[in-house]
Amino acid sequence: MIELEKVVKIYPNGTNALRGISFSIEKGELCVVVGPSGCGKTTLLKLINRLIPLTSGKILIEGVDVQTLNPIQLRRRIGYAIQEVGLFPHMTVRENILTVPKLLKWPKEKQLHRAYELCELVGLIPPEDFLNRYPSELSGGQRQRVGVARALGADPPVLLMDEPFGALDPITREKLQDEFLRIQAEIKKTVVFVTHDVNEAIKMGDKIALLREGKLIQYATPVELLFSPKDNFVRDFVGADRTLKALRLLKVWEIMDPQPPKVRADQSLAEAVREMDHWKVNFIGVVDQEERFLGWLTRPFQYLVEKKVAEVMAPCATLATPNMPVSEALSKMLENGVGNLAVVQEEGKLVGLITFERMLKVLRDSYLENKLTPDIEGVKDVSGCMGVDK
Amino acid sequence: MFQDVWVWTSRHWSYIGELILQHLRIVLIANGIGIVVGILLGIYISGKGRENLADLVIYLTGILLTIPSLAMYGILMAVLGAIGLPRVGFVPVVVALILYGLLPIVRNTYTAIIEVDPAVIEAGLGMGMSYWQLLTKIKLPLAIPVIMAGVRQAVVMNVGIATIGAYIGAEGLGQLIFIGIQNPGRMGNVFVVVGAVFVALLALVSDRILGLLEYLTTPRGVRTGRQP
Repeated sequence: MIELEKVVKIYPNGTNALRGISFSIEKGELCVVVGPSGCGKTTLLKLINRLIPLTSGKILIEGVDVQTLNPIQLRRRIGYAIQEVGLFPHMTVRENILTVPKLLKWPKEKQLHRAYELCELVGLIPPEDFLNRYPSELSGGQRQRVGVARALGADPPVLLMDEPFGALDPITREKLQDEFLRIQAEIKKTVVFVTHDVNEAIKMGDKIALLREGKLIQYATPVELLFSPKDNFVRDFVGADRTLKALRLLKVWEIMDPQPPKVRADQSLAEAVREMDHWKVNFIGVVDQEERFLGWLTRPFQYLVEKKVAEVMAPCATLATPNMPVSEALSKMLENGVGNLAVVQEEGKLVGLITFERMLKVLRDSYLENKLTPDIEGVKDVSGCMGVDK
Repeated sequence: MFQDVWVWTSRHWSYIGELILQHLRIVLIANGIGIVVGILLGIYISGKGRENLADLVIYLTGILLTIPSLAMYGILMAVLGAIGLPRVGFVPVVVALILYGLLPIVRNTYTAIIEVDPAVIEAGLGMGMSYWQLLTKIKLPLAIPVIMAGVRQAVVMNVGIATIGAYIGAEGLGQLIFIGIQNPGRMGNVFVVVGAVFVALLALVSDRILGLLEYLTTPRGVRTGRQP
C-alpha cells in the first residue's frame, strides 16, 4: 500500500534528516514510526503527503509515485492528524470535520450524514450535542477526537498521524488509544502513526519502524521487537522491562493450557484423585454439569476419599478471561498469591488454565525461538525483521 | 458662552449637518481606499520569504505617521502639483489621510496573518487546501478582528487629521474652526468650540460604531470578552 524506497531528505541547511529509508506498509496495517527526537520520524510522515519535498528516493501509494501527483489532490486523499490538533477555531465541529468533503464538493446531504456518522465513530455522542460547538468549547480529549474525525472526513484510504495523543493527560491518552484501536479494527485504514513513546508504539502498532538518526534500525512486529531487539540501541529503547511489555501484548488464550484437567463437582474424590494421577498434578479444576468453573480441588487426604468433590473443593473467584492481557493475569496472580488461574468465558465456562510455570516457559521459548542470548550485539537474520543498512 | 454656542448651533443645524457630511465624505473615501490598499499590502508582505520587505513597509508606514499634517500637506502640494493633480482642496487631503491610515491597517493585517496558529495552518495544508483557500477560509477570517481594530484606529485618527485639511481648502468641520480662528471676538470662539465639539463627537461615534463592527466580524468561535 505504502512503499518507501531509499528515501533521503536533506534540508536546505544541510541537515541530513533521513539517510535512505526503505520499507513497506501493507494495506489496512497500522505502522508506528518511533524513535528518539531528531530521528526524522515527523519528516518521514510529511514526505508522504508532500508537506516537505523529497530529496531523493521514492514513495509509492498504491503503486503510484506521490511525486507524480498534484500535492493538493494527494493530500485530500490522505487523512492527517497532528499533536496540536490544529482545529479551525472559527469553525464548528461540523465544519471542521467536513473540511475535506467540502473541498471535494460532496453533495450537502452526504456531508451532513458523514459529519454525524464520524461524530459517533469517534465517540462524540450524541452528535447533536457536539456538531454545532466551537473548538474553544471542547476539552482537550474532545478536540483530539474531532481532529481524528476530521482526518477521516472524506474516508481516505491512508491516515497519517503525528503524535496525535501526545499532548493529552495519561488517562485520556490511554482511553483515546483504546478507542482508536477499536475504530481502526472497524475501518481498517492504512495508518502511519508517529510517536516517541515506545509504549504507545507497542500498544498501537501492527508493525513498528524504529528510526535513529535518519536510519531505519529495525522494522518488525511489536512482539518481535520485544523478544529480539536487533542491537543494544533497540534493547535500550524498548526498555529493560521489555518482558513485562511483551506480557501486555500477549493474550491469555495464546499461552493458556486449552485442555485443563477437571472434574465435576458431583464426582467422588476417588475419581478426582485418579484424574490427578493421570495428569500428574496436585490440583484440579472443578466444574458443574454445564462445564462452569466452580473452584479448585487440591489433592485430598486419603481418609476423605469417600466424600464428593463438592464437599471438599475450595471455591475461587479469581479468574482470567481469554482476551485478558497476560500481564493482567500475572498481576491477579501476584495480588492473590496464587500460581494458577482458571480461564473462563462469559458464561463461566472453563476453557483453559494459566499457570506461572507456563508463562515462564512461553517467555523462555520465545527468546530461544528468536535465537537471542542476552547482551549479544547484532543478531543477524532475525525472522521478519528487515533492517536497512547504507 | 455656553448659551451662545447653544443658540448658534440650534439656529444652524443644517449648516453643521452639511459640514459633518463633508467631513465624513473625506474620511470615508480616504479610509475606503486606505483599507483596500492597506489590507492588500498587509497580505502581500505576510507571504513566505517576505519578512525583510514586511519590516521595511511597516517601518516606512510608521515614518509617514510621524510627519506633521501641515508638513504632509506641503509635501503633497508639491508632489501632486508636479504630476498634474489638484494641489489644494479635496484631493491632497484624501491622499494624506490614506497615507496616515496605512500604518495601523497594514501592521494589523500583517501581524494578524503572521500570528495565526502554525498548527492550524499545517492542518489546513495537510487537508489539501490551496494557498488561496488557506488565505480566504482560514487566515483572513481569523485575522479580521485584528484588522478591524486597525481600521478603527485609522478612522478615528483621520477624523481628527481631516480637520487640518481646511487649511488647504478642504471642506468639513475644519472650516468652522478656521473661520473661528480668523475672527477674533465672541463669535469666533463660538465657531471654534462648535467645530471642535462636533469633530470630537464624530470621532467618538465612529469609534463606537467600528467597535461594534469589530465585534460582529469576529467569528463566533474565537470571541472573547463582552459585547461592546
